[in-house]
Parts: sequence; structure tokens; C-alpha cells
Amino acid sequence: MAEFKLPANSKIVSGKTYRDATAARLRTVRVYRFDPDRGGDGDDNGNSNDNGDGNHGRNLPRIDTYQVDVAACGPMVLDVIIRIKNHIDPTLTFRRSCREGICGSCAMNIDGVNTLACTQPAAAISGDIKIYPLPHLPVVKDLVADLSNFYAQYASVKPWLQAGEPAPGRERLQSEQQREKLDGLYECILCACCSTSCPSYWWNGDKYLGPAALLQAYRFIADSRDEADGERLAQLDDAFKLYRCHTIMNCTKTCPKGLNPAKAIAEIKKAVAKR
Amino acid sequence: MSAASRPLSPHLQIYRPQLTSVLSILHRGSGIILALGALLVAAWLAAVAAGPAAYLAAHGLLNSWAGKTLLFLWTLCTFYHLCNGVRHLVWDAGYGFGLPAAYASGKIALGAAVALTVLAWLL
Repeated sequence: MAEFKLPANSKIVSGKTYRDATAARLRTVRVYRFDPDRGGDGDDNGNSNDNGDGNHGRNLPRIDTYQVDVAACGPMVLDVIIRIKNHIDPTLTFRRSCREGICGSCAMNIDGVNTLACTQPAAAISGDIKIYPLPHLPVVKDLVADLSNFYAQYASVKPWLQAGEPAPGRERLQSEQQREKLDGLYECILCACCSTSCPSYWWNGDKYLGPAALLQAYRFIADSRDEADGERLAQLDDAFKLYRCHTIMNCTKTCPKGLNPAKAIAEIKKAVAKR
Repeated sequence: MSAASRPLSPHLQIYRPQLTSVLSILHRGSGIILALGALLVAAWLAAVAAGPAAYLAAHGLLNSWAGKTLLFLWTLCTFYHLCNGVRHLVWDAGYGFGLPAAYASGKIALGAAVALTVLAWLL
């Protein structure tokens, strides 16, 4: 059964406010913070400390506010949060690596939609910049969410080429048309923006594979060199794994790489029906 | 900290509503209302079968201001569910998955539902 409300330990409280050292062009950035090593409410030493606010000294996530001088950093939201970490608050924790939209590490919820912080210009956001971790995941720390289940689901679709016949003496060649079928599929960087934008995945993420894993499954079903289509489709033909997709289309709407997971899932459904 | 006690990141609370998700939840909502409306139709038919007195009572109820509002909303749900259902049929056939197409079909389904409802009440 879908649980629409946040559990008691996930309630968000208000946090602290920080200000940049320079102020040429200040913007307000509100960031979700959660420190697993902190003790109870208002205590940084790990002691339980009930201040009578009704939260019983729980260590709750909070929203910290940063006044950031965006004139002093690069144009993307990732540049802004790196500015916060380097110059305002070194405790802010987030994943980042390539800073050019190819690694998928800095996927987060920015201004209400999932995207990559490194390819999202701060100037394209009006008002305060609100940043949360990817939705409906266990939070490890601040903007770092636990993607273990997401990766396990990816592994479950056996994302590699399978061939029954002995390997030929040369490469397995593809025609241009066969190769074209992989366009829009192979570019997926597994950033998890799509899966964590999907309400169906929020409510049934333990059993529904989600758009990312399904797009990856279709990437191998569509590959002319793969010979395991039968087993792949049989494995996916499941009320939860595949058919919790109700074509909501949040996945396609949010994909920072401009791919179309909803279309890939529809192709799997068609292939299962034809089987 | 144990993995079990990690907080859950916010979802519905923070995700921006957009045409894709809003039309989807409206489809489900209108479906639920249609199921309840089917009970109303059954009750009305039962009243017809029960004789003139029961029928007149049901007729009066449905012709009241509240009854008419209910029927109007039910008509809207019927036509929305129908139009968006056609949209889903097209998707199931594998067409219309581009974002521009999905937005256009969504707006068409919404517009057609309103137009058909108005038409049904004027005729």
C-alpha cells in the first residue's frame, strides 16, 4: 500500500542560515540536510536532547539556507553547491564527478524536478534554488541517497550481451539499421533521475523495476547480437516488475539526457504481448 | 547509523506537479468516481423498478441543485476518463511518446472532455 506521508523520522525541520563572504550577486539556496552522526535535536555531540518541540529529540532532516554569491562561481547548480562546500559550509555532502553530464553522480531534485546539478543552469531557476536528494530513497547523508536497490534492479535485468552459440572467429557485426535501434538507449548513464521521479516507483520501488532498469533491459532486447530475448521477456512478464508502469511519463519528462524510458517500456510491453 | 533508521527523502511533498503526473492521477481519480457513479445508476434503476413513488423520489433528488452538480461532475469524469483512455490506447499501440506529442495529446484529452461535457449538458 502506498504511503503518501513521510515517516516520523523523515519529517523536515528548519535549519540554519549561512551567508557568503562576498555579496556581488547573492542568491538564496535552500538545501536538504541530514547528518547521520548527529545526536538528537539541536545537539552536535550525539546526546539525546529533547527541547520540547514535539520531535522527542529525534535527529531530523532540516533545510539549511545559504546566501551564495553566484557571481563568484560557475553558472551551474553544481558550481553553486561546490561554492557552498568550499567557501561557506564544508560539511555539505553530495556526489559529483565529471561535471559535464556523463557520469550521473550529481543527480538530485532541483527546483522540484530531478536533474543533474552539473547541467542545470542556476539562472534558469526563478526565485530560491531548492535542492533535495533524489525522491523517496533512504538518505545516507545530505544529498547522498542510498541507490543499492536501484543498482540491484539494474543487475537483475542482466545488462550484458548473452549468446548461446560459440563465439565466432571475428566480431559480431551489425547492419546500420540494427545499430540504429540502440540509439536513445545506450546513452543512459543510470543517474536514477527517471526512476525516482516515477510515482509508481515511489509506491512499489521494491517490486517494480522502474524506468531506468527497464530501459536498460530493452537496450539488450533491442540488440541484434543478443540471443536471450525469450528469457529476458519471460523474466519481465510480471504484474509488478513491468506492469506497474502506468505511462505517467514523469520519466521521459525528467531525463537529463533527453531519452525516452516510457517509450522503451511500451516497446517491452508490445514485445511481451507478441511473444 | 543503521541503514534501517535512515530518513526517507521527500517525494510527493516536493516534486513539482506537471501535466504528465497530474493527468495520470486525474485518470485514476475519475475512474474511482465512475465506479461510485455506477452505484448511483444502479440505485436509479432500482428506483425505476420499485415503482412510481420511488422513481419520483429519485428523480427529485437528482434534479435538485446538489444532484445536478453531482451529475455534471460525473459527466466530466466520464468524458475525461474516455478521452484519456483513448490516449492510453494510442500509447499502448506504441505511438505518441515524444514529449511534445504527449503534451499535445494531454491538452487535447482535457479540452475534448470539457467540450463533450458542455455539449452533453446543452443538448
